[in-house]
Amino acid sequence: MNIIVAMKQVPDLQQVRIRNREPVIEGVPYTLGIIDKNALEAGIQLKEATGSNLIVVSAGNEEVEETIKEALAAGADEAYLVLDDKLDGMESSLTASLLAATIKKIEEVGLVIFGEGSGDNYSGQVGSRVAEILDLPQVGYVSKIELDGTTAKITRSLEDCEELLEVQLPMVVTVLGDINEPRIPSVSQILKAGRKPKEILELDDLDIEIPKDKKISTLSNLAPETDRKRVAVKSVSDLITALQAEGFVGR
Amino acid sequence: MQFTLTKEQALIQKMARDYAEQNIAPIAEQIEKENRVPDEILKGLAELDLFGMAMPEAYGGADAGYDSYVLAMEQIARVSCGPAMAISAHSLGLSAISNFGTEEQKQKYMPKSCKGEYITSFAFTEPGTGSDPKQITSTAVREGDHYIINGTKRFITNANYPGPLVVFVKDSVSGKPTAFIIDKFCEGYSISEPWEKLGWHGGVLCDVYMQNVKIPLENLLGELGNGYPVLQYGIAFGKIGMNSVALGTTLAAFEESVKYAKEKTHRGEPIAKFQAIQLKIADLAMKYEVSRWMAYRLGSLANKPKSPADFAKEAALSKVVIAENAMAAARIAMDIHGSYGLMADYKVARIYRDAIMGPQVEGVIDMQKLIVAGAILA
Ligand SMILES: Cc1cc2nc3c(=O)[nH]c(=O)nc-3n(C[C@H](O)[C@H](O)[C@H](O)COP(=O)(O)OP(=O)(O)OC[C@H]3O[C@@H](n4cnc5c(N)ncnc54)[C@H](O)[C@@H]3O)c2cc1C
Repeated sequence: MNIIVAMKQVPDLQQVRIRNREPVIEGVPYTLGIIDKNALEAGIQLKEATGSNLIVVSAGNEEVEETIKEALAAGADEAYLVLDDKLDGMESSLTASLLAATIKKIEEVGLVIFGEGSGDNYSGQVGSRVAEILDLPQVGYVSKIELDGTTAKITRSLEDCEELLEVQLPMVVTVLGDINEPRIPSVSQILKAGRKPKEILELDDLDIEIPKDKKISTLSNLAPETDRKRVAVKSVSDLITALQAEGFVGR
Repeated sequence: MQFTLTKEQALIQKMARDYAEQNIAPIAEQIEKENRVPDEILKGLAELDLFGMAMPEAYGGADAGYDSYVLAMEQIARVSCGPAMAISAHSLGLSAISNFGTEEQKQKYMPKSCKGEYITSFAFTEPGTGSDPKQITSTAVREGDHYIINGTKRFITNANYPGPLVVFVKDSVSGKPTAFIIDKFCEGYSISEPWEKLGWHGGVLCDVYMQNVKIPLENLLGELGNGYPVLQYGIAFGKIGMNSVALGTTLAAFEESVKYAKEKTHRGEPIAKFQAIQLKIADLAMKYEVSRWMAYRLGSLANKPKSPADFAKEAALSKVVIAENAMAAARIAMDIHGSYGLMADYKVARIYRDAIMGPQVEGVIDMQKLIVAGAILA
């Protein structure tokens, strides 16, 4: 069985600086989405438990071929990549069509894992859209996955309860950021990543046209203002009251 | 000429940074107070392959090159110098075995050392000398099919861990320095309590006592009476690690200063708005840039050294600059922090104590300058 993990290339958020409320992306290296790394870790754990093959899929500009080494180092066995510089800044429905078409090329797919949202835009749409295109059942807010032959036992963490589901494979899950702690790859794993198999697909291979005009235009992209509140306190109890009022302690 | 990291190198750098942030930073003060790196940290670093990073795959290493080794070690030292110092001294001893060992010696010691099951030591310094091989007093006397080693070695990093000890003694026939390998904790091997040092806490330093240590003839490393190349080359390779430790300290001084300058306010403004602070931040950035490219370059030269003498010169030259830059950076960081920097609650106090270690260890600064001048004027 193949387990698929979809991962998005994003600018390394730790290195993005905010100038005049705008993120400065220039010169910032790419990495993979933060929750996508949890999705990958979930995939690795299932692969280790069941002996499945783990394939990472991604669509994006040509740089993805380098960026994806991070996933191959962490434990993915191979990668299916749709590469085209025209794919920069694409919106969720196009991403979903590309990923769905890519996944269709892979045989014996048992489970497709997404992060709940991408590291940059967090639209949270791609997983559900792919499930719809592929006509597969989908479960969101997943905090635990167990594979048992042809079914999966899934725990969803909802606001005030947990839901336990048993779902027939193949299926799509979108996982939460706290489902696990992604592992840190060793030096040898990093060095071997480049030698793992990669299937590079072009837009022609997938029969998908990129629409001329983008369906979504970004009007502005602003960081929230984080001005200091400058609240003066006279005692520790004043401080605690002030922090409680802000909701930082003792909620 | 290329001044960019490959994707793999960037990932190795990130790997070390992530590991250090997640696992070492939360206990950095504990390491400082207890002067001990917890076993699970050493194990964790070994699992990331940091104990055999630059060693050939055939002997259990990761074969990542010394330049990648610098990138990783810098990130560990940025958070805590203790574990970085342990790996640095270990890699120094291991490089001597890798460069001069026989096939049997490599098979016996390298795979376990690369996995961190052995932690290697390199013992040259004695109570009487730390810079002059001629003044060594420890001895090796041949008796039939073995040697008997006697003597005291001072300030030996990792002497407390099991594994090989590359040791320099005078052999009784030639009367000249010769290198041997001893298994630590064999009969006749004992150590002092760890020294209490000013900085680099967690990197353990003991005196080693060798009393009639009996080793087989095949434990000779390199040639009898010709230990000097092993020493020269070994110490030059050791400087790759020393440079990384000082570089990580410089980076920490730089980062802590930028953070503090933005957080600390005067008359409602962060002190970063003051030009006097800005000049200091620029100085820190310059020191860090100079150090980092010199350290990375020495690492990349070590992947294919032209000749031992040439490499020893490059190592000496970079060590002086990088160790002195770390001290200068720590001092600037201290000035930016003012009195707060002197307090144990602030990381700069530790950075300052760590920075001051570099110039004295593995060859004092003056000796390095003599090596450089000697190579130029030869
Ligand atoms: C944290 C730490 C870890 C260490 N780890 C190890 C280890 O693992 N293995 C090991 O063998 N040693 C180790 N050492 C010892 C260290 O390498 C030596 O202390 C160092 O080389 C200096 O030797 P010394 O202290 O005997 O100084 P000396 O050689 O006595 O030098 C003292 C001063 O005399 C001057 N001087 C000496 N000789 C000359 C000369 N020929 N020409 C001009 N000036 C000269 C120098 O300027 C120097 O400042 C360690 C030390 C420390 C602090």
